[in-house]
Amino acid sequence: MLSYQFDWSVVTSGKYFEWLVSGIKVTLQLSAVSIVLAFLVGLLIAVMRMSHVKPVRWFAHAYLEFFRNTPLLVQIFFWYFGSYKILPQAVNDWLNATNFEFAAAVIALTIYTSAFIAEDIRSGVLSIPKEQMEAARSAGFSYLRSMQYIILPQAVRITVPPLVNQFLNLAKNSSLAMSIGVMEITYQARQVESYTFKGFEAFTAATLVYLVISVAITALVHLYNTRVLNLQRAA
Amino acid sequence: MRTFVAGVVTAALVAMTGAALAAPPADTLVEVKKKGVLVAGVKDSLPPFGYIDEKSRQIVGYDIDFVNAIAKKLGVKVELKPVTSASRMPQLQEGNIDIIAATMTKNPERAKQIDFSHTYFFTGQKFIVKKGSVKSLKDLDGKKIGTAKGSTSEQNVKKAIPTATVLSFDDYPQAFLALQQGKVAAVTTDEAILAGILAKAPNKAQFEIPSLQISDEPYGLGMRKGDKAFVDFVNKTILEMEKSGEAKKIFDKWFGPSTQFHLDRNFKITADK
Repeated sequence: MLSYQFDWSVVTSGKYFEWLVSGIKVTLQLSAVSIVLAFLVGLLIAVMRMSHVKPVRWFAHAYLEFFRNTPLLVQIFFWYFGSYKILPQAVNDWLNATNFEFAAAVIALTIYTSAFIAEDIRSGVLSIPKEQMEAARSAGFSYLRSMQYIILPQAVRITVPPLVNQFLNLAKNSSLAMSIGVMEITYQARQVESYTFKGFEAFTAATLVYLVISVAITALVHLYNTRVLNLQRAA
Repeated sequence: MRTFVAGVVTAALVAMTGAALAAPPADTLVEVKKKGVLVAGVKDSLPPFGYIDEKSRQIVGYDIDFVNAIAKKLGVKVELKPVTSASRMPQLQEGNIDIIAATMTKNPERAKQIDFSHTYFFTGQKFIVKKGSVKSLKDLDGKKIGTAKGSTSEQNVKKAIPTATVLSFDDYPQAFLALQQGKVAAVTTDEAILAGILAKAPNKAQFEIPSLQISDEPYGLGMRKGDKAFVDFVNKTILEMEKSGEAKKIFDKWFGPSTQFHLDRNFKITADK
């Protein structure tokens, strides 16, 4: 008969607590950097996807299809292990001397999430009546300037809720970075488990961390919906 | 919102507690005989301990031969379940497997959670590095060192070289790939495992295993804590295998002069004190 002794002190104090805290820091850094980059790249791809220049539009389309339809874990391995074959040796040496694990995870999370973000922004843009674009163009704005000053500010505003969803996914997906040795919270929880065999406690702590991050992001959207968009809360 | 979150947390905790407390069989020996099958947790990508044979597509190896011998003695069939270093103990404790035969080092922390058989394999932890790059442990100060998650190798190397950054991968082939690409300066684990990795490497001439040993690694078969009848049975069986020469035959089959490892058998299976 298995008799599991709960011991929460493992995760609330001492060395293992410090590991978990350092894991939380890495998760937050990884998520924050990737969210900012993914938003910027996603915005760029969305604009390219709607461009009137065919090759640009095709490139964006291929980018979207490719990165939305391959598993994130495969992409992480691709950037970390696969990039070795295509980069010059000097670049590889330089990358290996740095914290390449973290960088590869940021690249993978950024590119993967940016594809989803681009589609969300595009559907936001499509929801803006096309007369707005026509009006902007006839007022003398170029295509890019019309996007920049007229369309995108409105589109991004309605795109915020789905965007935040993507941010939420990104924060949770960051746990896959453990597969290439990035010491984020899931990695540290697993470390604590293999040192103490207190897996239940360690993973409960990690679960709570993700829950807090997600609830915090959700609360922000809620605030945004009520304060900025003046939407009533859905029943 | 608040009550919803509280509800979700409660439900999740209840579900997880339920899973953690599910009861595995109390007496494995009786249970296995009743089922007619012994479920063993083994490695499936770690030659020559446990790996998938290219021709037969079956998992074979040193560990598997021991499991087969025990099952034969019991008069039951064998079912092999691939496990990782990190998953093997939870799998055993949850009752998904009956015995661990997966290159598992016996140590006091683990012995608090499960029971071990007598030592059925003995090795030591070393490093695999690019040829000529490491002469002493000092050469690894401040470097990145790769190993597999949840292994004792990880803990030993942190003790031996505190300034090194230990990167834990999902398994050893991945850690070795990182070494080949220069992402880590060394891969560390038990010598017998390193020898297996090196033997399979396409560019093995570029790598070596320097004679720097940082720990002793006695392997034991893992069984559920307090499962005394089964532990006694397994111990009796492997002692008999030593006596009859079968244990040595298995060692020579996988590590001896006719293999690519050329390891000496510097141990005998004896009763632990």
